[in-house]
Amino acid sequence: MAQFTLSVNGKSQSVEADPNMPLLWVLREKLGLTGTKYACAEGDCGNCLVLVDDQAVRSCVTAISSVVGKAIITIEGLSTDGSHPLQLAWEAENVAQCGYCQPGQIMAAAALLKQTPSPSDEQINLAMADVLCRCGTYQRIKKAIQRVVTDGGL
Amino acid sequence: MDINRREFLKISFVAGTGLIVAIYLDGCTPSPTPTVAPTSKAPTLVPTPTTDPTPMAEPLATISPNVFVTIREDGLVTITQHRSELGQGVRTALPMILADELGADWNMVRVEQALADKKYGAQDTGGSRSVDSCYGSLRMAGAVTRQLLVNAAAQTWNLPASDCYAENSLVIHRPTGKQLPFGDLVIPASSLPVPSSDEVKLKDPAEFKIIGTRVGRVDNPEIVTGKALYGMDVSLPGMLYATVVYCPVFGGKVASYDDSLTRQVRGVRQVVPITGGIAIVADGTWQAMQGKAALRVEWDSGKNATINSADVEQVLRKQVMQSTSAEGELAQFYTFSYFAHATMETMNCTVDIRPDGCDLWVPTQDSQRVLSNASSLLKRSSSNIKVHVPLVGGAFGRRLEDGYAGLPPSADYVRQALEIAKVVGAPIHMVWTRQDDFEHDLFHPMTITRVRARLDDISSLSMQTFNALAPIPLGYWRGVANPQDAFARESFLDEFAVATGVDPVELRRSYHDQRSQAVVDKVAEMSGWGSPMPAGSARGLAHFATWSQTDVAQVAEVIINKNEIHVTRVYCAVDCGLTINPDMVAGQIESGIAFGLTAALKEAMDFENGTPMRTNFSDYPILRFDEMPQVEVQIIPSTQHPTGIGEMSNPVISPAVANAVFALTGQRLRKLPLRLSED
Repeated sequence: MAQFTLSVNGKSQSVEADPNMPLLWVLREKLGLTGTKYACAEGDCGNCLVLVDDQAVRSCVTAISSVVGKAIITIEGLSTDGSHPLQLAWEAENVAQCGYCQPGQIMAAAALLKQTPSPSDEQINLAMADVLCRCGTYQRIKKAIQRVVTDGGL
Repeated sequence: MDINRREFLKISFVAGTGLIVAIYLDGCTPSPTPTVAPTSKAPTLVPTPTTDPTPMAEPLATISPNVFVTIREDGLVTITQHRSELGQGVRTALPMILADELGADWNMVRVEQALADKKYGAQDTGGSRSVDSCYGSLRMAGAVTRQLLVNAAAQTWNLPASDCYAENSLVIHRPTGKQLPFGDLVIPASSLPVPSSDEVKLKDPAEFKIIGTRVGRVDNPEIVTGKALYGMDVSLPGMLYATVVYCPVFGGKVASYDDSLTRQVRGVRQVVPITGGIAIVADGTWQAMQGKAALRVEWDSGKNATINSADVEQVLRKQVMQSTSAEGELAQFYTFSYFAHATMETMNCTVDIRPDGCDLWVPTQDSQRVLSNASSLLKRSSSNIKVHVPLVGGAFGRRLEDGYAGLPPSADYVRQALEIAKVVGAPIHMVWTRQDDFEHDLFHPMTITRVRARLDDISSLSMQTFNALAPIPLGYWRGVANPQDAFARESFLDEFAVATGVDPVELRRSYHDQRSQAVVDKVAEMSGWGSPMPAGSARGLAHFATWSQTDVAQVAEVIINKNEIHVTRVYCAVDCGLTINPDMVAGQIESGIAFGLTAALKEAMDFENGTPMRTNFSDYPILRFDEMPQVEVQIIPSTQHPTGIGEMSNPVISPAVANAVFALTGQRLRKLPLRLSED
């Protein structure tokens, strides 16, 4: 066990954990940020996706020791009142069905738009291709991303 | 009073934590001393904390004319939603029905999730039946409540009730335009008898204000902020975390195990034998999973260790071959494979057993069965047990048999959590790994369906389905038997059309009733059926009415790239009777297409030596973002009784794609997943 200081959603958080503990479980069970979801634990599905220094990172395969000193943003860090442009667009397009994967989808879209404010269809496909949704909400996810771009970006 | 929808939804999800309730009450007029007995304690989606930091000084008066609706004197209408929300939208659709009949302002409605309780009637959520079977009773619950409020207003004004109506959470006296808000009528209504159902008149559907509109999912605000509570997210004071270890061969048992390495894993507390398997209890889910990885187990694989799905298929094929076809007849057979549910949220269950009561949080499709099963396993009265149903991260039938006595212990995650909690003596949050979720699924069965018809008469079409009898654990899978029926029949109709030189749309005219043909004609129109397609692409048509409920017709457009089938566009026409929420109907069509395409284009579950061979998304891939076709949906306007939508679309897409592939390549693919020949 070791002591780690993490920057999560703009706050400094002190956590005692095994250095190999995946960020996913630190967020969910040590910091109570359950918006980030467990689904595959192998980096295959993207349901656990968060931003680390503005990059999309799969928190289930990211050890806590590797993110010290970096800015971690989870779904809860976009806004707590749903006022972030991506959250508003997700509501406007009525994207969610079961909703379980949507925090990962939204964070993947956030990483995309931070790096590419006006992505092409191809760039959207590439950025979103590895975030899985069993309900098949992909068409609406694409519309929601395009809505954010049309409405002026993040 | 201006209470916005977001505040209401917040209250609905944090009720019990006090804080937001207090903020909300600050914005309201002080409440008078309640003269009405409060309703039974409202179920909430979150565990009730032991202390309330800001207790309400004076609870507001409420009336609850029936178990589904409570009206508070500040105008808040709480609708208790009793089915399980799996993504299909019941938490939005069912309250819309009641609220409309009540005459409520949708912005002043909040939705609460019911506990498992017979007082709500059936709560099992399957077969796409929630809207169909609750439409009448929820309208009546709304109408009775409306009439009570109308009577209260009439009495207050001393005017005839027959001159009054309800709209936008107001009762209005038609001749004078006088109005009273619902909230102001709570106290007067509390001393009046609740009207009986034969004293009330249902609305004319032409007067519907909420039904038929594009209402957003009530859970959207919580989902997009990460606050939505799934079973996976439940946390209780003093809770320990668990995962389980079962033989990967179905029916196999633990012969012996060595937990010495497991016990060395930091955070592991206990290794607990449970029925048929072993549980690892730890300070965290990851620690439990680490402990599981370190466990050394010798299995007694049992008699199923020789089962291979390839052999199962050979046996089935031999059976089918024994049925012969006659002269002048077209006969073919179509194979549907084993498929997994692969819900994004793995199976999990949280249990808190106390001397004075017991709470379970179960992402289930059948909360009452969980309740009765927990009651018998714990030997406690069901009145001593509360089953909470959080949002469910995908179900597709997997969670319909929770609590079913015939489940193998390896598949029964509710029993597992209860057994662990009994031994450990602390609240337990038990989570399956993704591998567990695939290995201990209840699979869609492998089937072969033989279809035949005399070439001179399509109405002679008959189907016979052969089910594999191998002891692979089977369960309900989105659409149950309809997907294989649709794949077989609709592929066959296409073959019949080719064999007889008739256009597939025209062929169906002599096969279908008027309602079915209307959706076929609509989708033909939408897709430009019969018009030329660009080189390298083709379209295919299919139609089906799952459980003879909702007519769905689809046209799929496909291309082939590197010998792989890609579906670029799908047109869909649907007749589901009266539409409650058109946007969510379209969403379920899109969802069914994605689900059906995963079966049509991706992998089936293979078994070797009694073991499922695919145990994560890397080897059991599901449809991805860049593979989703453009979907266009049109709903046939209807005033007929509403029918289901959740399982109506996925059966139709695979034959539509197979028929398009034939049109493009001349290859008739009669087995799912569809695979083009190598050359």
